[in-house]
Amino acid sequence: MEQALFISKLSNAKYLIHDVTRLYFGQEFCERLLPDQHQLAEALRFAHERCLEFTLVTPYVTNQGLARVEQLLAVLSQERPDAELVVNDWGVLHLARAAYPHLRLVLGRLLNKVKRGPRIMNIFEKLPETAKDYFRGSNLAVPAYTDLIRKYNIYRVEYDNVLQGLSLDGTDPEIKKSLYLPFAFVSTTRFCLSANCDNPAYADRIGIFPCGRECQRYTFHLFNPVMTVPLIRKGNTIFFLNEHIPDVVSQQKIDRIVIEPEIPL
Amino acid sequence: MKILSPLDSVDEVEKLARAGADEFYCGVLEQQWYERYPVISINRRPAGKGHFKDFESLKQAVTAAHALGKPVYLTINEHYYIPAQYSLITQYLDQAGEAGIDACIVSDVGLMAYIRQQGYPMQVHVSTGGTVFNWRAAAFYQELGAVNITLPRHLTIEEIEDIIAALPTLETTVFIMNSRCINVDGFCTFQHGLARKEILPMFRNACMLPFDIQVHDASHAVHHPADEARIIERQRVWEKVHVDDYPCGACALYEFEQIGVGSVKIVGRGNPLERKLCDVGFLSGLMTSLREQNLSRQEFRHMVRQTYATTYQRPCRLTMCYYPSVMLEEHADS
Repeated sequence: MEQALFISKLSNAKYLIHDVTRLYFGQEFCERLLPDQHQLAEALRFAHERCLEFTLVTPYVTNQGLARVEQLLAVLSQERPDAELVVNDWGVLHLARAAYPHLRLVLGRLLNKVKRGPRIMNIFEKLPETAKDYFRGSNLAVPAYTDLIRKYNIYRVEYDNVLQGLSLDGTDPEIKKSLYLPFAFVSTTRFCLSANCDNPAYADRIGIFPCGRECQRYTFHLFNPVMTVPLIRKGNTIFFLNEHIPDVVSQQKIDRIVIEPEIPL
Repeated sequence: MKILSPLDSVDEVEKLARAGADEFYCGVLEQQWYERYPVISINRRPAGKGHFKDFESLKQAVTAAHALGKPVYLTINEHYYIPAQYSLITQYLDQAGEAGIDACIVSDVGLMAYIRQQGYPMQVHVSTGGTVFNWRAAAFYQELGAVNITLPRHLTIEEIEDIIAALPTLETTVFIMNSRCINVDGFCTFQHGLARKEILPMFRNACMLPFDIQVHDASHAVHHPADEARIIERQRVWEKVHVDDYPCGACALYEFEQIGVGSVKIVGRGNPLERKLCDVGFLSGLMTSLREQNLSRQEFRHMVRQTYATTYQRPCRLTMCYYPSVMLEEHADS
C-alpha cells in the first residue's frame, strides 16, 4: 500500500514520515490558494531531494485560475514530466489532455461524485438495499463513463472516506484508486464565509469578494444534532473527520492512502 | 435572451407562455423510482410537488408547449447514477423521447457519455451541476455533444462574459431568480433537501440548519468576546436569511443582453403557479423595457429596483442579490 502525504503549503512538510513515498502538493478548493511557480519549484525540489514521487493537486478554476494552473503545468512538465496531476475541474482535464499529455492524470475527489452528507447515517440502515447501493457506489462502474475517462487518460481516481462505506464493485480494476484520510470534504463554495469574517463591513455580503486569506487563521466547528459527526468549515469548504479504516482497504481495492495531516486548505 | 421557466403541469403551459416564458424545464418522478431510491430523486427535487407524475402527463405538456412554439427540457440531473439505476434511466430516456422533449438537462458526465453512446435523439444541456467555471470546461462538454450549459451561481458577470466570449457557438443559461444556494451545486454532496422552515432538520437544506459554532484561531490571538461573537455570527448568515427570500439578479439583464447570454433561468419547480407567473411576468416586463426603450445601464437598474420592490414588497438586499457587484457599484457611486 502506497502512502502519500498531502500538503497545501511546504511548511507542512514537517509531517513527512518514513513510510511516505509520494508528496501531494497543491490545492483542491480555492484558486486563490494555488501555489505560485516558485512555491511549486520548491516543493518539487523538496520531493526530489527525498526521492519522493510527486503529485500536483489542482482546484476548480475560473478562466483566471486556469491561466495560473497552466503556468504551474509548464513548470511541472519541465521539472517532473513523470509527475501526476490531480484534476478537480473538467477544464483542467481538457487543458492537460491538450497540452501536457505525458502527465499522469488523476480524477480528483470533487469530480468523483459520491454523496458525503453525514445525515444519511440517521436513516441508512432503514433504506432499501437499492438505495444503500447508491450511497456506497458511484458512476465509476458505468461502462460508458469508464470508457470516457480512459479516453481522457485518467488512470487513477481519488475517494473520500465516507461514513456509509464505499463499494468499488464493478469499477474498472485497471483504474487505480486512492483513499483520503482522515478528512472528507462535503461541500464547497466561492461565497466564502471565512473570507473577511472578522471585518464588520462584510457582515451582510454573500458573494465573490477579495479576501485576506482568513482561512489560514480561522477554522469553524459546526454542530447540529442531525449531523452524526461535527462539520468543520475551513475556508470555503466543509469537511468531516473519519479515521475509521474502511473495508475496501483490507480488501486491497485501494492501493494508495493519501494522508491529510491537516485539512489541505 | 430567453426566459427559462419551471413547469410542473400541463395546465401551466399556456399561462406561463402568455406571461412571457420562452422555454420550459421540468422533471418526472415515477413511483417505481421513488420506491427503489427514496431520498435520491432522479432530478434533485425531493418527492412531492415539482414533478410530473408520469410521462403521459409530460407528453400532454410538451404537445401544448410545442403548439405555442416553446421547447421543453427534462431534468435528469442528479450528480451521479450507479449501473443498477440504468434500467430505469433507459426507460426514462425512451419515454422522454416519445413524449417529444427537446433536450435533457444532465449533470452526470457518465450519463452524458451513455446518451451519446446509445444515440438518443434529444439534445443534451449541461445542468449547473456540471460545474463549468471556465471556458475549457465548457469546451469539454461541447466535445461531449452538449449544446447548452447552465453556468454555476458562483460566477461574476465578468467571469460569465469571459466564458461566453471564448465559446460563442455554445448556448449559455444563467440564474436570475430564486434559490440562491450558498454552495456550488455540482460540488455539494449533502443530500439535497427542501428549504421550507417547517421541514424536519433531517430533510431541510443542510446549509440552512442552525448550528452551534466554535471558532479556532490559529494565531492564538485573544479576542474580545464581542469580536468572536461577530466572527461566528457571520457563519450563520444562511440561518438568518432564506435562500428563497426572493433572490434576484435582474439588474444584470442589461449586461447579459450585451454579452450574449442565451437564457435566464428562474428556479422554482414546485412553486405555486401564482409565484411562477409573478417571476416570469416580472422578468418579461423588464426585458421588454430593455429592448424597446433606449435605457442607460443606470436607468435600467433604477427601473429594476423599483419594479422589484413593487412586485415582491421588499427592498433589494445584498444577501439576496445574485450579482452583488451591481449593488456594491451603486453604493460606491452614491
